[in-house]
Amino acid sequence: MSQSDHPSRCPFSFKTTSRETNACETTSRATEVSESKAIDSSMKLERRRFLKSAGMVGLSGVTLGGLALGSACPAQALAATGHGQDVTSAPQEQDSQLRYPFHGHHQQGVVTPRPASGMLVSFDVLARDRDDLETLLKILTERIAFLTQGGRIPERNPLFPPPDSGILGPEIAPDGLTMTLAVGDSLFDERYGLDGLQPRRLQHMQGFPNDALDAARCHGDLALQICANTLDTGYHALRDIIKNTPGLLMVRWKQEGTVPLLPPSPGDVDGSARNFLGFRDGSANPEGDNEALMDELVWVGQDHDEPAWANGGSYLAARIIRNFVERWDRTPLKEQEAIFGRRKMSGAPLSKTGAGVEGKEQDVPDYASDPEGAITPLDAHIRLANPRTAETEKNRILRRPFNYSNGVETNGQLDMGLLFLCFQADLEAGFIAVQQRLDGEPLEEYIKPVGGGYFFVLPGAVDETDFLGRGLLAATA
Amino acid sequence: MKTSKLPTAWLTAGALGLLSLTTTAHADVAPEALVGPVADYKLYVLDNLEQLVTHTEDFTAAIKTGDVEKAQALYAPTRVYYERIEPIAELFADLDASIDAREDDYEKGVEDPDFTGFHRLEYALFHDNTTDGMETYAQGLMNDVNDLDSRVQGLTFPPETVVGGAAALMEEVAATKVSGEEDRYSRTDLWDFQGNVDGAREIFDLFKPLAAEEDADFVARVQDNFDDVEATLADYRLDTEDPTAGFESYDEVSDADRRALTGPVTVLAEDLSTLRGLLGLN
Repeated sequence: MSQSDHPSRCPFSFKTTSRETNACETTSRATEVSESKAIDSSMKLERRRFLKSAGMVGLSGVTLGGLALGSACPAQALAATGHGQDVTSAPQEQDSQLRYPFHGHHQQGVVTPRPASGMLVSFDVLARDRDDLETLLKILTERIAFLTQGGRIPERNPLFPPPDSGILGPEIAPDGLTMTLAVGDSLFDERYGLDGLQPRRLQHMQGFPNDALDAARCHGDLALQICANTLDTGYHALRDIIKNTPGLLMVRWKQEGTVPLLPPSPGDVDGSARNFLGFRDGSANPEGDNEALMDELVWVGQDHDEPAWANGGSYLAARIIRNFVERWDRTPLKEQEAIFGRRKMSGAPLSKTGAGVEGKEQDVPDYASDPEGAITPLDAHIRLANPRTAETEKNRILRRPFNYSNGVETNGQLDMGLLFLCFQADLEAGFIAVQQRLDGEPLEEYIKPVGGGYFFVLPGAVDETDFLGRGLLAATA
Repeated sequence: MKTSKLPTAWLTAGALGLLSLTTTAHADVAPEALVGPVADYKLYVLDNLEQLVTHTEDFTAAIKTGDVEKAQALYAPTRVYYERIEPIAELFADLDASIDAREDDYEKGVEDPDFTGFHRLEYALFHDNTTDGMETYAQGLMNDVNDLDSRVQGLTFPPETVVGGAAALMEEVAATKVSGEEDRYSRTDLWDFQGNVDGAREIFDLFKPLAAEEDADFVARVQDNFDDVEATLADYRLDTEDPTAGFESYDEVSDADRRALTGPVTVLAEDLSTLRGLLGLN
């Protein structure tokens, strides 16, 4: 996204004058300092703060820059609406100084708002033994701590290869980067003495009836979710990780994706971004800033019957879901909407529209008065995924997907689809239960899951003496 | 399929501060100190070229007489001399293409009229199981190898090319040998693998005394990683007493061993990429 794409709108993030940049950076640093105090004093406050405050650090910084120059900028109004704070709200143009704290009880990239780009990279761990594995986890922690906060790249004697790829220039901006480290079930095999302390629901992903899994794009010892405002920031981070872990990690597969940006529009409250089938995706997501709800549905806690080291972690289900977009585009709109159970443009549930009434995306679908599925078919995607019954409340998951486009198939059709990522405190009650309800849905004619895997997001590193995975290693020492 | 356990614990570049940027004040190596190792390396290359010429004569003769079995047997043992000296051979891009290009390098693949050399013959011998129509390709390979030999005789070896060759060979291994795509019809990849490693190790050994003066830990780490790669390769030798017996098919290499090879190969590629800088070469 560049300024020239939207010449008529206020430039939030780009081509600022040096005065604007300074104002922005100063504000960011000030906010960061105040936040580290908050972390010290109250862990509970911290998450709410970074959702409500740090998430907007960059924006408010640039707003100040804009105001300092006396320009009338809608960013001010935007900041006031609270738009764009839900996990799957369509991301808006953000400035490069957007920075999420790395240290904390939980890792970033789960309940933090989803930015415009993301990728999941799966690795085989090559570490020979436990000591090497610990070295790897420490290197990863150190690199993530640096990359997500940004800074100047180191210099080196030019007769040597440079330590940084240089693709972001000499100064690395945080750019909303989050890096989330998760472990796969294979890490708990005989190699590192971790057997016995595997999270109880962590398992090898089995194919569902509609899957056509490609072994080269499945599973892995480790997974790294890398999200940022721009894909380039993610690629830079990935190359940094590869450069710093020779002999310890080998990329097994990766899939990147994007989310379409929405122009700021104060009237469109928290509209979910669209997937490549043209539907809003994430409408019924649990609110990422509802701490109690996240503790119930997303984060593993003491009530979740898991090893103690896993507290603060979460299960990640990743799926590469091919969409047959040409065929979809040749399907009548009414049928598309019946398959999903929502109106395509507004995202409103079918049960809330009709007879001159145009509902909203946020409306809660009404299935109770439609037991036969006359309005919302019984096998509509949203009705199967979330039947809105008391018994199925525990099956809710936090979705955080990205749209991918990989090239062209030999038949001339586009290889496009959804990098489906979701987080939950209980993989079996979450993704697996939901997917089992979806098995056989009419949407299957237009989609084909081809890859992915199940992983467990490690608890966060709480401070500079901590490292990701420390609790796991300590528990098995 | 089988797996091996590597004997020594190798250390990683990242863990030992390869990127810690403490190595900034080198370039103390006097240029004249490089003369001896470079001259020795040229002798190594010329020796391997001589072997390449002799073996190519036998290999191409077998093709011309229609002896498929003999030609198949001579394919890998002939190539190995080319694989060892690739950093120098590649200086002649025209010959490198006609001697060692793979079908992937051509839009029309095996049908492409420009596709010649070892891999064109490999396709005939191991995919089509014939020498029919291969006389021209065989003679072309012989001519190219003789041409390479005479061109290298007169070549002045630039020190940075020689020293950089160690890293270049490990990049070859990392890019095309571990994946098993080099010799996809004959499955003799491990011969080439060993050839590349031999060539890289020769360069490293020649410059090791100079490198040790700059960074003894670096030298120790590189030696350990070379040892580990060679130990894994040795598990696949047909006869441990007789190196000329060669290797098992690459199909026999287990996934675990492919990963076990990737580790030290990647660390070697990273480490050897700093050898030029360590010796103060541009």
